[in-house]
Amino acid sequence: MKRARFIIGALLGAFWLVPLQAQQTTGTVRGRVTDAATEQALTGVVVSVGNHRAVSSTDGRYVITDVPEGTDSVRARMIGYAPASAPVTVAAGETAVVDLTLTQRAVELSAIVAVGYGEQRAGDITGAVANITPEQFNTGRIISPQQLIESKIAGVQVVDNNAPGGGLAVRIRGATSVNASSDPLYVIDGMPVGTGAGGGLSAGRDPLNFLNPDDIASITVLKDASAAAIYGANAANGVVIITTKKGGRHGPQIEYSVSASSSSITRVPSVLSAAQFRTAVTHDDSITLTLNRAAMLGSASTDWFNMVDRTAYGQQHDLVVSGSGESSTYRVSAGYLNEQGVIRGSGTERLSLGVNYDQHLLNDNLDVKLNARGARTYDTFQAGDVLGNAVSMAPTQPVYDPNNTTGFGTGYWDWNTTAASASNPVASLNLATDHGTTYRSVGNLEADYHLPFLHALRANVNVGYDVTQADRQTFIPNNLAGQTRQGHGQLSLANNSQANTVLAAYLNYAAPLGFVPGRVDVTGGYSYSQSHAEYPYLSENNLASNLLGTNGVPSCTAGGCLQNGKTVNDSKLISFFGRLNYNLLDRYLVALSVRRDGSSRFGPNNAWGVFPSVAVAWRLSQESFLRDVRQISDLKLRASYAETGNQNFADYSQYPTYTYSNPQAQYQFGGVTVPTIRPSSVDPNIKWEQTNSYDIGLDYGLFNQRISGAIDWYNKKTSDLIFPYTPAAGTNFSNRVTTNIGAMKNTGIELSLSARVLQGTGNHLSWTADFTASHNTNTLTSISAAGGATTTTDPTSGVSGGVGTYIQVLQTGQPIHAFYVCEQYFDPTTHKPVEGEYVSLADTIAHACDAQSLRPDHNPAPNWIFGHTSSFTYGNFDLSFTLRAYLGNYVYNNVASSNGFYQAVSNGGSPSNMSTSVLQTGFVVPQYLSSFYLENGSFLRMDNLTLGYSFNYRGQPMRAYLTVQNVFTITGYSGVDPTAGLNGIDNNIYPRSRTVTGGLSIRL
Amino acid sequence: MNLRALKGPAVAAAALLFMVAAGCTDTTVQPKSTVTGANIFNDPSSYQEFLARVYAGLAVSGQQGPAGAPDIQGIDEGFSQYLRLYWECEELPTDEAIIGWNDVGLPEMNTQTWTAASTMVVAMYYRIYVQAEMANEFLRQTTADALAGRGNVSPTLKAQIQQYRAEARFLRALSYWNGIDLFGSIPLVTENDPVGGPPPKQATRVDLYNYVVSELNAIKDSLPLPGAGTYGRATQPAAEMLLAELYLNAGVYTGTPDYANALTAAEAVIGSGYYSIDPSYRHLFEADNNTSPEIIFPIEQDGNVTQTWGGVTFLSHGGCGGSMSASDYGIDYCWGGQRLKAQADSFYITTADHAAGDLRNSYFYYTGQNLANTTRGNFQDGIAAPKFSNKTSTGGTGSNATFVDTDFPLFRLGEAYLIYAEAFLRGGGGTQAQALTYVNDLRARAYNDAVGDSTGYITAAQLTLPFILAERGRELLWEAHRRTDLIRYGLFTGGTYLWEWKGENPNGTNAAGIATDAHFDLYPLPQSELIANPNLTQNLGY
Repeated sequence: MKRARFIIGALLGAFWLVPLQAQQTTGTVRGRVTDAATEQALTGVVVSVGNHRAVSSTDGRYVITDVPEGTDSVRARMIGYAPASAPVTVAAGETAVVDLTLTQRAVELSAIVAVGYGEQRAGDITGAVANITPEQFNTGRIISPQQLIESKIAGVQVVDNNAPGGGLAVRIRGATSVNASSDPLYVIDGMPVGTGAGGGLSAGRDPLNFLNPDDIASITVLKDASAAAIYGANAANGVVIITTKKGGRHGPQIEYSVSASSSSITRVPSVLSAAQFRTAVTHDDSITLTLNRAAMLGSASTDWFNMVDRTAYGQQHDLVVSGSGESSTYRVSAGYLNEQGVIRGSGTERLSLGVNYDQHLLNDNLDVKLNARGARTYDTFQAGDVLGNAVSMAPTQPVYDPNNTTGFGTGYWDWNTTAASASNPVASLNLATDHGTTYRSVGNLEADYHLPFLHALRANVNVGYDVTQADRQTFIPNNLAGQTRQGHGQLSLANNSQANTVLAAYLNYAAPLGFVPGRVDVTGGYSYSQSHAEYPYLSENNLASNLLGTNGVPSCTAGGCLQNGKTVNDSKLISFFGRLNYNLLDRYLVALSVRRDGSSRFGPNNAWGVFPSVAVAWRLSQESFLRDVRQISDLKLRASYAETGNQNFADYSQYPTYTYSNPQAQYQFGGVTVPTIRPSSVDPNIKWEQTNSYDIGLDYGLFNQRISGAIDWYNKKTSDLIFPYTPAAGTNFSNRVTTNIGAMKNTGIELSLSARVLQGTGNHLSWTADFTASHNTNTLTSISAAGGATTTTDPTSGVSGGVGTYIQVLQTGQPIHAFYVCEQYFDPTTHKPVEGEYVSLADTIAHACDAQSLRPDHNPAPNWIFGHTSSFTYGNFDLSFTLRAYLGNYVYNNVASSNGFYQAVSNGGSPSNMSTSVLQTGFVVPQYLSSFYLENGSFLRMDNLTLGYSFNYRGQPMRAYLTVQNVFTITGYSGVDPTAGLNGIDNNIYPRSRTVTGGLSIRL
Repeated sequence: MNLRALKGPAVAAAALLFMVAAGCTDTTVQPKSTVTGANIFNDPSSYQEFLARVYAGLAVSGQQGPAGAPDIQGIDEGFSQYLRLYWECEELPTDEAIIGWNDVGLPEMNTQTWTAASTMVVAMYYRIYVQAEMANEFLRQTTADALAGRGNVSPTLKAQIQQYRAEARFLRALSYWNGIDLFGSIPLVTENDPVGGPPPKQATRVDLYNYVVSELNAIKDSLPLPGAGTYGRATQPAAEMLLAELYLNAGVYTGTPDYANALTAAEAVIGSGYYSIDPSYRHLFEADNNTSPEIIFPIEQDGNVTQTWGGVTFLSHGGCGGSMSASDYGIDYCWGGQRLKAQADSFYITTADHAAGDLRNSYFYYTGQNLANTTRGNFQDGIAAPKFSNKTSTGGTGSNATFVDTDFPLFRLGEAYLIYAEAFLRGGGGTQAQALTYVNDLRARAYNDAVGDSTGYITAAQLTLPFILAERGRELLWEAHRRTDLIRYGLFTGGTYLWEWKGENPNGTNAAGIATDAHFDLYPLPQSELIANPNLTQNLGY
C-alpha cells in the first residue's frame, strides 16, 4: 500500500506540469458561427480560446468571458464540420468580435469519436474505427439498432432476420468463434451490455430491441483489435459503441415524428399448385409409390401461403422533449412502435422511454450524466410450425371444415390419421398462441471530474445497470390435429430475468508533455461487472382442458406431463485497463493499451488473462513534403497488433458438475423410482479464446475531403477456440468435452470510399456517394486435442428432414461451418440429377451418400460484401438509396430437400405437398445431402430507397418522407431469401417483406 | 445548496469507492443451481442415484426424458440410446430385420456396408465407454478411503455400497461384453485410469475377455440374490447369464471355445430356482412384463418416469406402420420403421422343424405387407413384426401412449435353455435328454400345448445345431442376439447364407443379397477414435 501511494505520488508529480497562473486582467470574445455554404447559423458549436470555451446558441452566437489579455486564437469545432480558427487580440475589459464560418466535411477528421473509456479526435485514431451518425443511418421501419448500420460499414455484416424484431447477428470481419458468440460487444453510453448468451432472454427476438433507434446519436464500430483491445476478454469480435442523444443547448423543444408503414411478402417457398399436386398424386405412372393416395386427394384449391400471410401494417410515434438549463441539458423521449409481421400471428409492439440528463457542476469541472432507457416489448409469434405446414399441407384440401367431419371439432379441415401428417397451418395460427413480454432497462450514471489542481487530469466513474425480465407463454390446444397424434396439447411458460451491474472508473490525463515534444493521453482504470440470471420454466403436455389458454395450468391427463425447473447463472468479470496515446507533431501517433481481465468462467489457473495492443499511425499528409500538395487533405498510414479474448459462453464450464435427471429420466431401482445423477464431462483447465490480430490501413482524403475513405488489410488468428471435441473414449464422461481445441484465421481487406460528387446547395443538385467493399476468408486451421492428436471432421448444423442429418462440418483447412454434401451426379444426356448417385471422392459414381462421397463444399459466408449509398439533395428534396451485394455466399435449400421427393405424397398418414424442385429432380426418396440443394446465394439488393421533403412550418423545420425497404433483389437463388441467417440454411425461414413507410417529423 | 462544500466529500467518496472496488479481484463464482463434484456426496442418497444412473445408461439417452441433456453427441439423441443402437447393430445386418429410414448412418446397417464413419457404429462405441466411465467413476467415488473421508456414510449404507459396487462392476462387464462382441480389441479402462488422463492402450480381445470373465466371477457372490427389491438390478443369476453368453461365444472372442463353462453357467441360472418359463410368450414383450417370472435382467422402461425415443419405445413404434392401427399396440403413433426380412418370416413357414401351430409369430402383421423387401424405404415391403407392445397381458394399455412401459428382456430364462442345448450339442457336457427337455419346454409354450400334449415337440434326432440357430431365430427374434448367433455359426458374413440386401448397396434396387467379406464380423473402431487415440489399430479390413 505504501508502495502504491508512492507510485501514485510520483505519477502525479510527473504530470504536475501546468504552471500555476498569476491573476490577470481579462476581456470578452464574442461572435457568430455560420455554415460556410448555407450561411445559416450553427447551433452547438464548441468555441474556445485557451482553456475557456462556450457553445453557440440557436442563432449561432457565442460569448466567452474571462479571457486573459493577449493574442490568442479562437477555435471552433463541431461534428460534421472542419475545425476553424481565427486570431484574436483580447484587451482587458474589452470585447473582441470574431465571426467564424465552418465548412462541412464528409469524413470529419476532428470529429470526436467515442472509443472505449473516453473519446478521441477522428484524425488521431490509430485503429480501424467507423463512426456512423444519424444522417447516414438507414431509414424506414427500423426495429433493432443494428439495422441502422446495415451495409454502411466495410467489414461489418448485419445478418438479417426477417421477422419483425427478430434477432440479428453482426459479424465484424468474420466469425472468430465456433461455439462462443461471434457477436460484438455492445457498449451503450459506456455500459457494456449482454446480448447473445448474456442478454438473449426472449427467444427469437433481438436483445437490443429495447433501444429505440430514434434515440441513438451515433454508432461507432471498433473494427480492429487494437481499438477494441481496451475491452480485453470481450473484444475479440469487435466492439459497437452506441451513444444516445443528449439534450442540446437551446430552450425547451419538442420534436414529434410519426410514420406509418405497410409490408407485403416478397417470396414464399415454391410448392406445387393444386393442379400440379393432383397430377403428382394421380397420374405419374413413371414413379413407383407405396400407396395410391388418389382417394385422399380432395377437391379444393388452396394456396396455403396465401392463407397465412397478410399485408402487415405498422406505426411508430416518437416524442422528444429536450433543452437546457443554466448548466444542464436534458432530453426525454417516449416512443411507441407497433409492427405486424407479414406472417399472421407475428408482430412486435414496443413502448420505450428514455432520459438523458447532463449536469455541469463545480465550475464545469464536474460533469454528471444520467442516461436511462427502458422498454416494454410485447412480441407475438406464429404458434406451431405454420411455415412448414404451409409448405406440406395438401393444396387440394379446404381450410375450413364446418361440419367437423375430421372429428377434431376445431372447425378447420385436417387429416384424420394417426401417422405422421401435415397439419392445417390456419388452425394453429388461429387456435394456438405464443407471445412474450420483455421489459429491459439499461442505464448509467457517469461522473467526470476534472481535478481542479490539475485540469488535464480527470477522473471518471460510471455506474450502470442492465435489467431484463422476459416472459414467454405458449399454448397449443389439445384438439389440433397434430396434437391429437402426439403431445395432446402443449403449455409452456418461462419467466427469465437477468440483472447486470457494472462499475467502471478511470483516470485520464491528457496534455502536452513539457519535457519532450508531443501530447499524451493516458488512461488507467478498473471495472467490475457481475451478472445474475434466473430461468424458471414450466411446461405441460396432455392438457386436460383448453379453456385456460396461457392463463392457467390445467391438470394433465397422463403421468409426468407437467415439468418445471429453474436455473440460476451468476458471472463476474473484473478488469484493470490502461491506455497510452502519444501524438507527436500530429504526424506520429502511437497507442498502447493493456487490459487484464479476470473471469468467473474459468478455473483458478486460467481466471486471469492479459490483452495488450499496440498501434502506430503516420499522418503523411502533415509532413512537409505533402503539406503543400493541396489535392491531398489527409493521408494516414496505420498499423496495429493486438490480442483480444472471447469469454462469451456458458458459465461454470470449469466445474465438474453433476446433472440430476428430470422426472422423466429416472430409473426404477428394484421397484423404487429414483432420480439419477450424472457427472458431466469437463476440462477444469478451460480458458478463453484468444485472437491475435494484425491490421494495416490507410486513411485517405482528397480535395479537401471531397473524396475520402480507408483501405484496410487484416489478419486475425484465433487460438484456443472452444468447442466440444471427441476425446479418446474412456477418458471422460461423454464422447464430447468442451475445451480449447481449435484455431482459425480470418484474413480480409476492406475498402471504403466516400465522395461528394456534386456539391450544389440550395437549388443545385448535390450528390454524395459512399461505397464499401469487404472481403473475408475464414479458415479453420487446426482442431487439436491436448494430446496433440488432430481431429478433422465433425458435422454441425442439423437440418430438417430425417433424423440426425447434419449439413455442415468443422474441418481443418475449411471455413467453419462449410457445407458438407455429396456431389450430385447428373445424367450426361438429360442433365437431370440421378437419384441416389453421387460423385465419390475418388471421382467414381457412388450409390450412396456416405463417407466415400461426403465433402466440404462452399460455405454460408459471402466472399465479398458490397454496399453503396447515394444521397441526393435538390432544393427541399432529398433522395437516397442503399444497395447491397453479396458474392459467393451459399445457401442450403432445406425446404426443397425435405419436401422435394415423390414419396411425400405416399408416405406417412397423408399425401404431403412438395417443393417444385421435385419437378426438376424427380427424386422419389429424400436426398438430403445432395449438392443439388446447395445453391449460390449471391445477390444484389436495394435495401432502401427514400424520398424526403424538408420545409419550414411556422419557422420550424419539418420533414416528410417516403421510404421503401427491400425494393428489389436480384439473385439466382431459388428459395425464400438468399440471406438465410448466419448458417445459410433456408429451413422455413421467415419470408422477407417489402415495406413502404411514410413519415413526418416536426419540431415545435 | 453550496455545491463547493460537496467537493471534498465527493472526491473522497469517489476515491474510496474506486479503491474498495479495485480491491475486488476474486473471480470465483460457484454454481448454484447445479451440484458439483465437491458437494454431491454430501447427500447420502447420491450413491443410489449414481448407481441408478449407471443402470439408466442402458435405458435413457440423457438426463431429460425423453430427450435433452444427452449423454453423447454428434448424433440425434433418440438414435443415441444404448439399447436402440445395440439392437440396430445386432439385428439390422442380419436376416431378421430391415429399416427403411434414410437417416445418416442407418441405411448401411441393413446391408453390412458400414464404414468407420457410420454414425450408428460410432455412437455404439462411445455408448460402451460412457457406460464404462460412469461405472468407473462410481467405483472411484465409493472406495473405502473416499467414503471414510466424507464422514457421513453410515455403516448400513457402507454395506449397501459394497453391493452397489459389485453391481457397477457387473454393468461395466456387460458393456465390455458388448464391446468385445461388436468391436473386438478395444481399450480396457478401469477405475484406476484417471478422468482426463492420456489415451488408453488397446487391449486384445482375449485380454478383455479374460478381464470380464474374471470380474464376473469375482463379483457374482457379492451381487444381490433375486427377490424383493431386485427387479431391474444385477443379481447373481444375471452374472451367471452374462458369463454364459461370454463362454458360449468364447471361440469367437478368444479362438478357444469354452462350451463346458457355458453349460455350467446356464445350468447355474436354471438351477437357481428363481425363474420359470412364463406361460405366455407374448407376456414377455408386453407393458406389464415386469411381472414375468422369466426375465433375469431387463432394461427397464416406463411411460412416465423412464422416457426415451430409443429403447422399447423405438422398438414398439418403429415396428408399427402401414395399415396397422397404433392403438392396437397401446401406442399413439406408428413410425413405420423396421420389419422382417423375408428369411425371418420363413423361420416359421418353410422350415421342416416348424409346424403351423407355432404361435410365436402370432403377432406378425400381414395385411397390405409384401413378403419381399423390394424397396427398402417402403414399410409395406416386408412382413411387419410388432413384437413389443404397450398393451398389458390383460388387454389394458401402458401408462403413456408415447413412451412405453414395456421392459426389454435382455436376459431371460428361455435363452438359458437354448444355451444349455447348444453347449451340449457343441460338446460342452450335459445330457441330450436334458437338452431336449429344455427345448421342448419352450416348444410346448410356443405351440400352446395342453398338459401332456406334444404337438410342437422335436425328437432327439431333430436336435441339431442348425435347428438351434433356427429355433433361436424363432424364440429370440428381435431380441438383439441374431448377429452374435450368426457369427458363432459362421454365417454372418461370406456367401454361404444370403439374405435380402446382405452386402448390397442400400440405395440399389437388387434386393437378393451378395456375399460379404469376413471383416464385417467386427465393426470398425470409429474414425474419430483412431484420431483421438493414437494407441489404436483399426480392425482388419477397414
